[in-house]
Amino acid sequence: MRNAVMAVLVCVLGLGSLSAGAAPAVTPQRGGTLIVGQGTDATTLDGHLYTDAPTATIMEHMVETLFELTPEGKVQPRLATGVQVAPDGRTFTIRLRPGVRFHDGTALDAEAVKFNLDRILDPATRAPWRFLISRVQRVEVVDSMTVRLTTDAPFAPLLAHLTHSGTGIQSPAAIRRLGADYARQPVGTGPFRFREWVRGDRVVVVRNDDYWGERALLDEVQFRVIPDDGARLAALEAGSLHVAVRVPPREIDRLRGSRDIRVSVDTSLRTIYAAFNVSRPPFNDRRVRLALNYAVNKEAIVRSALAGTARVSDAPIAPNVQGYSKIMTYPWDLERAEALLREAGYSRERPLRAVFHHPTGRYIRDAEIAASIQGLARRAGIELELRTLEFGAYLALTARPREQNDIQMYMLGWGTVTGDADYGLYALFHTSQFPPVGFNRGFYSNPRVDALLDRGRTTVDQAERTRIYAEAMRLIMEDAAWVFLHSESQVTGLRTTVQGVVVHPSERIIASAAWLRR
Amino acid sequence: MWRYIATRLLLAVPVVFGVAFVVFAMVRVIPGDPAQVIAGEAATREFVEAVRRELGLDRPLLVQFAAFTANLLRGDLGRSVRSRAPVTHELWARIPNTVTLALAGLAVAVSVGIAAGVVSAMRPYSVIDTLVMLAALLGLSMPVFWSGLMMILVFAVWLGWLPAVGTGTPLHLVLPAVTLGLATAAIIARMTRSSMLEVLRADYVRTARAKGLAERVVVNRHAFRNALIPVITVVGLQMGTLLSGAVLTESVFAWPGIGRLLVEGVLARDYPVVQGAVLVVAFAFAVVNLVVDVLYAVVDPRIRYE
Repeated sequence: MRNAVMAVLVCVLGLGSLSAGAAPAVTPQRGGTLIVGQGTDATTLDGHLYTDAPTATIMEHMVETLFELTPEGKVQPRLATGVQVAPDGRTFTIRLRPGVRFHDGTALDAEAVKFNLDRILDPATRAPWRFLISRVQRVEVVDSMTVRLTTDAPFAPLLAHLTHSGTGIQSPAAIRRLGADYARQPVGTGPFRFREWVRGDRVVVVRNDDYWGERALLDEVQFRVIPDDGARLAALEAGSLHVAVRVPPREIDRLRGSRDIRVSVDTSLRTIYAAFNVSRPPFNDRRVRLALNYAVNKEAIVRSALAGTARVSDAPIAPNVQGYSKIMTYPWDLERAEALLREAGYSRERPLRAVFHHPTGRYIRDAEIAASIQGLARRAGIELELRTLEFGAYLALTARPREQNDIQMYMLGWGTVTGDADYGLYALFHTSQFPPVGFNRGFYSNPRVDALLDRGRTTVDQAERTRIYAEAMRLIMEDAAWVFLHSESQVTGLRTTVQGVVVHPSERIIASAAWLRR
Repeated sequence: MWRYIATRLLLAVPVVFGVAFVVFAMVRVIPGDPAQVIAGEAATREFVEAVRRELGLDRPLLVQFAAFTANLLRGDLGRSVRSRAPVTHELWARIPNTVTLALAGLAVAVSVGIAAGVVSAMRPYSVIDTLVMLAALLGLSMPVFWSGLMMILVFAVWLGWLPAVGTGTPLHLVLPAVTLGLATAAIIARMTRSSMLEVLRADYVRTARAKGLAERVVVNRHAFRNALIPVITVVGLQMGTLLSGAVLTESVFAWPGIGRLLVEGVLARDYPVVQGAVLVVAFAFAVVNLVVDVLYAVVDPRIRYE
C-alpha cells in the first residue's frame, strides 16, 4: 500500500514538473504487457509444492489464499469473507466468498477448500509447507459456503499461516484431471490466468476477465528468468524489462541517475543474524555474547556494506511481523565490550578466539558483512576466524544435533513469511526445536521463553499475544542469543512508466493492480 | 567406412557410461546434505527424510548406481527434484535452444576465425597479421561474462539495436551467438594461421607456384584445403565446448539451454537434472568426435580406415 501511495506521489510530482499546464494523467490506463525479470525460473507451478520466492511471485497472480497478508502486516480475508473462532480456540469456522470461479469455470465452494486443505495435509502430497497447518486435525464442510477447521490445541497463528501462498486454493477438478501434469498448467481464482511456461525463459499470465474482485489493468504479465545480476540491470536499462528484482546495493546510485528508472527500496520480513552455539564454550558465557553485541557496529555495516538499504534489528523479528515490538539495540560500545571480556577472563594477551562460519552469495553481501564483523570484533580484542562454505554444506553443518555440533558462531537469515511472530520465534528459540527437529541451531534454551512462546501460539487475543511476544523477545535479547544484525530490504528497479507494482515484504512482486503509462 | 563408424559408435558407449558413473559419484561425494538443501532451510525433519527416501539417498551407493543404470537403459532419467517433472522433459525443452546457439556460434566462429587466419597467414608478420593476432589474443582472454555484458551494454542499452536478453525472435540470437562465436573464432584463427603458414612452405605449394599458377589458385586449391585438416580437429573440439561450455554465455544472456539447466541443477542440488544434463553433454562430445573422425577421412584421402 505504501508503495502504491509512493507510486502515485512519484507520478504526480514527476508529471507536474514535466508538463506544467497539462492535466496530470494519473488515471490508470488499461492494457499492455508488464515484463518482470527475476533471477531464477519457477520450480513448479503447483501452488502446494514450491518453496522459493520467485515462484511465489508468479503463483500470487494466479492462485489465491483464504486470507491475505497486507504489505503492512495485517491479516485480512481474501477468498474467505470472515472467520469465527470458537472460545476453545480450536474451532475455526470460515465463510467463503460467494460467486468466485476458478479459471476452468468450476465454482469455489466448501468442498473445493476441503479438497485443497486435505491435499496439503496428506503426507503423500509432500507439501513442503504442510507444517504450517499440520495442527489442523479435521476439515469439515458445514454447508456449501462454510468450512470448519479443528486443531489439536488452540492455535492462534492459523489464520496467518493460511495467508501463506503455499496454502493457495486451486481447482480440484483440474488437479484430479491432470494429475502430475497439473504443475505445468495451474488453475486458480486469481486476477490472472496461466498462459504458458517456457522452461528457463518465462512464465506468461493473462488477465482473468471473470475475476471476482477488481479486474487487473494489464493484459498480460511475463515473468522472465535472467540469472545474471548485471544482465538483468542492463535489460532493465535497455527497456527489455519493466521490473528487475534484487538490484545489488552498489548499483543504486548509478540507476538513480537514469531518468527512465526508479529504484524502490522496500522492507522484507527477512532478518539476518549471527547466532551463537550457547551450549558450548566460549559462547555459553553470556558476558562473551554481550561483548560481541557491543563490539559490532551494526549501523556501520548497514551504511557501508548495504549502502543503507537495511534496517538495524531492534528485535529478533522484522517490524512488519504481527507481534513485533521495538525491544532494544545494543549500542556500539568498545569499552563495555572490553570490560565484559575482562570479566569473562580474556585480555589482549589472552584474546577470545572463535570460528565464525558464514555463507557467501545467499544473503545480500553476506561475506562482506562477515568480514566487517571480524574487523569490528578485532578492535575489541576478539579474534574471529572466518570460514566460508557452499550453502548446502553450510546448512548441513549448522543442522547437526547438539552432541556433534561443534560450530561456534554462524550467520544465517530467517524470513518470517507468514508475518506472524510465532513462525519467527518458536522455530528459532523454543527448546523443543533443537536440530535435527527444528531450527534452533544455537541450542538456545530458556524455560521462561519456552513458556511464553507456548502461550503465544495458544492465545487468541492479538493484543495479549503482542505483550507475550514482547516479553519473550526482551528475554532473548537480554540473553544475547544472537548478534542481532539487520532486516534486509528488497531493492527493485522499475521503469518509470510502471505504476502500482507492490513489492510485498514476503519477497513477492505483485502486479495485480499495476499499469503502464504510455 | 561404415564399419569404422559402427566401431566408433560402439566405443562411444563405454565413454558415456564412464561419464555417467563419474558424475553419479561426484555429485554424491561433495559435502553437504542434498536432502536438506532440496527441502529448504526451514523444512521439518520429516520432510527432509521424505526427500531422502524419494531420492533413494538412504540406500547404499552401489544400489543407487545399479538403479540409476537400469533406469538409464530404459531411457528414464528420473524426476527433477525441484520441479518434480521428468528430467527427459526438462532436457528436451532445453536441447533445441543449446543446439541453435551452438550452431550459430559455430557459424560465427568458423567464418570469422578461418577468414582471419588465412588473411594473417598470407602476410605473416605484417601489420595486418599483428592486428589480427592481437584481436585473437583479446578474444581468447576476455571472459564471456565480461564481453557478454559489454555486448549488451553497447548494442542493447546504448544503441538499442538488439534485444538484451532472452529468446523469442531471431534477433535474440545475435548477441549470444557473436559472444560465444568470437571467443572460439580466436582459437580457430590462430590454428588456421599456423596451419596455413606450414602448408605454404610445403614442397607441393612451391611446385604449384613453379607451374605458374595464379596465387589465388595456389592458395584456394592447394594450400587451403590441406591446411584445413588440423582446423577441423579444433573446430570439432570447439563444437563440443560450444554445446557444453556455453554455460556462461547462457547465463549472461538468459538463454534457456542445457548449460544453464546444469548450473541451476548444481545450485539446487538437483541430482537427477545434473546427471541428465552432463550425460547429454557427454553424448554430444562423443557424437562430435565421431563426426570429426569421419570428416577427416573425407577431407584427407590418405586416411583410410578399411
